[in-house]
Amino acid sequence: MALQTDGIVVKNERIKPLYFLLTIYCPPIANEIKTGQFIMLKVSDNSSPLLRRPFSVYKCYPASHPEKKKRGCLLILYKKVGKGTHKMTEFKKGQKVNVIGPLGNGFSLPPLPSSTHIILIGGGVGIVSLYSLAEVLGSHNLFVFIGGKTKDDILCEEDFKKLNASKIFIATEDGSLGYEGTVINLFLSQIKIFKKRESQYIYSCGPVEMLKELAREVKFKGVDCQASLEARMGCGFGACWGCVVKTNDLNTPYQRICKEGPVFNLKDIVWE
Amino acid sequence: MVASGTFGFGEEYEDFFDLNQLGAIIPKGISLKPMMGNPPPRIFETEGGIINSIGLQNPGFQNFIKNRLPYYKKIKTHLIINFFGNTQREYIELAKRFDEVPGISGLEMNISCPNVKRGGIVFGSDPKMAYQLVCEVRKATKLTLIVKLSPNITDIASIAKSVEEGGADAVSLINTFRAMAVNIHSRKPELGNIIGGLSGPAIKPIALRMVWEVSQRVEIPVIGMGGIMKAEDAIEFILVGASAIQIGTANLINPRTGIEVIHGIKKYLIQNRINRIQKLVGVFKSH
Repeated sequence: MALQTDGIVVKNERIKPLYFLLTIYCPPIANEIKTGQFIMLKVSDNSSPLLRRPFSVYKCYPASHPEKKKRGCLLILYKKVGKGTHKMTEFKKGQKVNVIGPLGNGFSLPPLPSSTHIILIGGGVGIVSLYSLAEVLGSHNLFVFIGGKTKDDILCEEDFKKLNASKIFIATEDGSLGYEGTVINLFLSQIKIFKKRESQYIYSCGPVEMLKELAREVKFKGVDCQASLEARMGCGFGACWGCVVKTNDLNTPYQRICKEGPVFNLKDIVWE
Repeated sequence: MVASGTFGFGEEYEDFFDLNQLGAIIPKGISLKPMMGNPPPRIFETEGGIINSIGLQNPGFQNFIKNRLPYYKKIKTHLIINFFGNTQREYIELAKRFDEVPGISGLEMNISCPNVKRGGIVFGSDPKMAYQLVCEVRKATKLTLIVKLSPNITDIASIAKSVEEGGADAVSLINTFRAMAVNIHSRKPELGNIIGGLSGPAIKPIALRMVWEVSQRVEIPVIGMGGIMKAEDAIEFILVGASAIQIGTANLINPRTGIEVIHGIKKYLIQNRINRIQKLVGVFKSH
């Protein structure tokens, strides 16, 4: 059940040159939103920009959270990339912001044997929703691959360390931190770790190019993978059919990323 | 009313407000056979507007009746079905079939579609073709027939006149403007279909002008739309001749726009001591 409500900006801080952390006090949504779901944020009071912007939940604190100050808060980690996010960097503490959420299907947590290697592969700001997933999964043989263009695009490393993830791997395309190359190439180079008798399960979120590359690889290795997609969205709640992705569904090949997604089985996506 | 294509099938909005407060719901346009829609990207935001190339994705008549229609049993407000075809025959067939479906208050015929039998000329771009189409569809149904006009035409009032002569009970305008955008970094069009329809606040001044021109030309009621975001916008359309209005793009941004506009209009009437909205309709009309 999605709702439309005003939240209050608690904090809006720059954490890296292009990345900001927005804390919104919004108990009705903070209490309900699940990992992999998202919100549609109204970033302006007028028509500039016109549409809301979608953001995955990074962290959320329900009404029952032990730390009183955090109760009812929703955290969004965003990158300043365009008109909408630029407007967001101007949000001030105490200002009202209209939010629609929770939206989307979220990640599903199938019952897996405790020995399963759970692999999280995130590119750029995609790692943020995978962090919210990791919180729910617990440490559970968790292997985290964080990718980005440069070291300034590597997010949530400290978060994952605090969670005691089994192993954290970092890849930057320019080699400024960790492995030089794509996060998928890093993952492939580490594949020997996973060539044991335990099964693997992958969750992934990041740019289309990254997911395409991953899809090619898992196809042949027969590993299950959930991928969280993004798209330019119109409404974000399933009414306009603007945010579709092509799937192998015979009845309705074009499925909505905001409604049937954003999380899909990677093998069901038809890449064009 | 809420504009077809912006309101899904209605269910998508029920979390946000009581749909029965609307004058009418117009769900996504239905074609005879299911349509897949256009490849993504299907949406692009512009200054004060959006360009969409959804591509009329819909489940088709049979699937609509079987899976979607039952939902409207619990809706008390009017249901107006938007429909379209690729050929005149498809329009007639659909009108005939919807004629037999209980619970429908009226039909809105989308004539902004290319006639595949005439090389893709848009039905609503040619007065003779529009007239003929409406005549034939008129014979096929007893339901209230609203014809939705395309603005991609030099003289929309002449199309309106033609469809009135063809037997339309009302006209609704405007549909979206053909538009496009290009990404200078990828050097590719922003939309998968290259061309889409522009809607939103940016088009309001043109939509208003067209509603005024059409109201001058026809006797049948005119339903106005095009960039209405708030009650003040709606009142402008009423003043130039619209007897009713539709909210479209605004729904995507503020799902509650429909009821907020209704309340805003009521407030305006009270503040200006006008007891009936009909007194405002077409205050500009010359006759």
